[in-house]
Amino acid sequence: MRWIHPLAPEAAAPADVIGGKAHGLVVLRRLGLPVPAGFVIGTEACRAFLRDGRLPDGLDDELAAAVADLEGATGRKLGGPRRPLAVSVRSGARESMPGMMTTVLNLGLTAAATAWLAAETGDAGFAHDSRLRFLSSFAAATASDDATEHLKLAVAAVFDSWETPRARTYRAIHGIAHDLGTAVIVQAMVYGNRDHRSGTGVAFSRNPNTGERAPFGEVLFGHQGEDVVSGRSLTRPLSDLADREPEVWAGLRAALSRVEEHYRDACYLEFTFEAGDLWLLQVRPGRFVGTAAVRVATELADEGAIGRHEALLRVSPQQLRQARTRRIAAGDGADLFARGLGACPGAAVGRVATTADKAARMAADGPVILVRPETSPLDLHGIAAAAGVVTARGGPASHAAVVARAMGKPAVVGIANLAVADASVRAGGRTIPEGTLIAIDGTSGEVVLGSPRLTTSDADPHLNRLLTWADEVSGDASARTEAERLSAAHTALTRGSALQRHRD
Amino acid sequence: MTDSDLVLHTLRCLGFSGLTRVAATTGLGESDVESELIDLARAGHVTRTAGAFGGWGLTEAGRAADARRITDELDAAGTRAAVADAYDRFLVLNPELLDLCTAWQMRAVDGALMANDHADAGYDARVVDRFVDFDGRAAVVCADLAVALPRFGCYPVRLADALARVRSGEFDYLTDNLASYHTVWFQLHEDLLATLGIPR
Repeated sequence: MRWIHPLAPEAAAPADVIGGKAHGLVVLRRLGLPVPAGFVIGTEACRAFLRDGRLPDGLDDELAAAVADLEGATGRKLGGPRRPLAVSVRSGARESMPGMMTTVLNLGLTAAATAWLAAETGDAGFAHDSRLRFLSSFAAATASDDATEHLKLAVAAVFDSWETPRARTYRAIHGIAHDLGTAVIVQAMVYGNRDHRSGTGVAFSRNPNTGERAPFGEVLFGHQGEDVVSGRSLTRPLSDLADREPEVWAGLRAALSRVEEHYRDACYLEFTFEAGDLWLLQVRPGRFVGTAAVRVATELADEGAIGRHEALLRVSPQQLRQARTRRIAAGDGADLFARGLGACPGAAVGRVATTADKAARMAADGPVILVRPETSPLDLHGIAAAAGVVTARGGPASHAAVVARAMGKPAVVGIANLAVADASVRAGGRTIPEGTLIAIDGTSGEVVLGSPRLTTSDADPHLNRLLTWADEVSGDASARTEAERLSAAHTALTRGSALQRHRD
Repeated sequence: MTDSDLVLHTLRCLGFSGLTRVAATTGLGESDVESELIDLARAGHVTRTAGAFGGWGLTEAGRAADARRITDELDAAGTRAAVADAYDRFLVLNPELLDLCTAWQMRAVDGALMANDHADAGYDARVVDRFVDFDGRAAVVCADLAVALPRFGCYPVRLADALARVRSGEFDYLTDNLASYHTVWFQLHEDLLATLGIPR
């Protein structure tokens, strides 16, 4: 086939052709890990589409053949009506462009297929929830009810979404060329919303806040993947799987170890489980920052996964600056009240204020933390008066996050289970009145009751060891800043490898 | 719209603010604005809080009065459909503006987001370029809004002013002060919600 590539262990196409996400899925399959069957329409087809304004000649036939293969592999038929196959249609460029392009889930759930799925599973609610998700993610579906037609339209919609102004802006800022195009990944659906033994989540092989070697993440029972990422729903700590779905938990732990071993780095997985069966939907190495990056690099060296020189090169001098951010000290038995997304690094302690007006008034008597469902321009004076900001809704680009960063205030956003009432705040079954002393950590997203010990990484043993290695490499033990010590080691290592190349 | 209505509605979209900021936003003189605010306070529509974080804010009655006045204004203009259409286009632009603000404040290093330390002038220039490109598209929506309701004409002017200052090197006019592009954009958002009676 010219345009379409298999999502198979033997697939040889590079990330340029099938995109970074599909490349990761091929790695997972090579490692023998469970990935839903599927195929990839390469970036070349996208470039042809963008050039000519239509899907390229020959793609129709290849699509029909690839769908037939997928039907054979799953024993199902796209659009049904008997044993209907539904697929996910996702974008996947060489460089990740999170949230910028179109995704269509549950494609294939025509009216007839949905009726069959309801009968097959004995669960009409599940079948209709799935169809509704399809219809709401794909406006073009209202024109006809033909699954094959839907698939072509969805592929075109994903290609089209490469060119939205927002995607163009993202690429311009991040230095990604406009002419690369995106691949499209088509996979058999796995249903996280199938039943109470189903769900979806994200998992890190190590704690991204501290770097500690322990699985970390979130799980959402009875939902599909986009619900976790959107922050709309109430997630549970990943470790809840241990009790509720021990086999999924064991499978996930094994998968995390396996991908770490392959990438020789801390890893991130997106997963779904359907009726107790685990499926992996995305893998990505690294991307830890600050203290966590330092700890992961030194411990990987201790474990023998990487050498000390590589450990040094994995931490950038900029990351050391972030390692000096004030944090809530770990392991002091802090009373965790809620957890959201850290949106502006730093830690703050203060009394809860539930409106901007009250924050401004209470700030006269000592530091306050403004806790809101979300913030708007009407809250600016409250944010200005507060020592830190907490919101129930919103992500890293929300009003609260942008303003908090502008003002240099620690912020935690997107705490899905946080309810803000007139003079109290509720999360995780506990209610605290306005005026309660809390602490927030804008790196980890933790909200803690009381006034825990705050720390910067002066005494971080991992950082001290890494810097000792750095001095050994540079041969310079004079007093300098931490960033200078690491930079000197980087310079020595780069010069060393250049010299090595010269000798070779 | 009378000066009193304008001051009330401006305070509604700005949120709790000091006199100087209300005056600058309305384009009226400080003493005129103060006089209007005192009258509005007498009518129970606004209150003044003293102290370091003090300023003027709307009461519930003030909020209701403003909602009535701008609904009447929109009905009298007969342009609800045009404003609603512009709001839909605003919603398409909004995530991109948030991306831009994040890109100014944060930067991906090895795939992980870190604070932008503004040491890379090339990166910062790319972000500013995209703000300028964005503003060109936002201006089209703002122009249609100003035709539908003339008071919206202040927004493209204030957005362009913020960007002009950025281009002359005052970078805090992107996201970091009370007349920044981000702040004005969010006031426009608040104004659209208030005007169309959409709860936040």
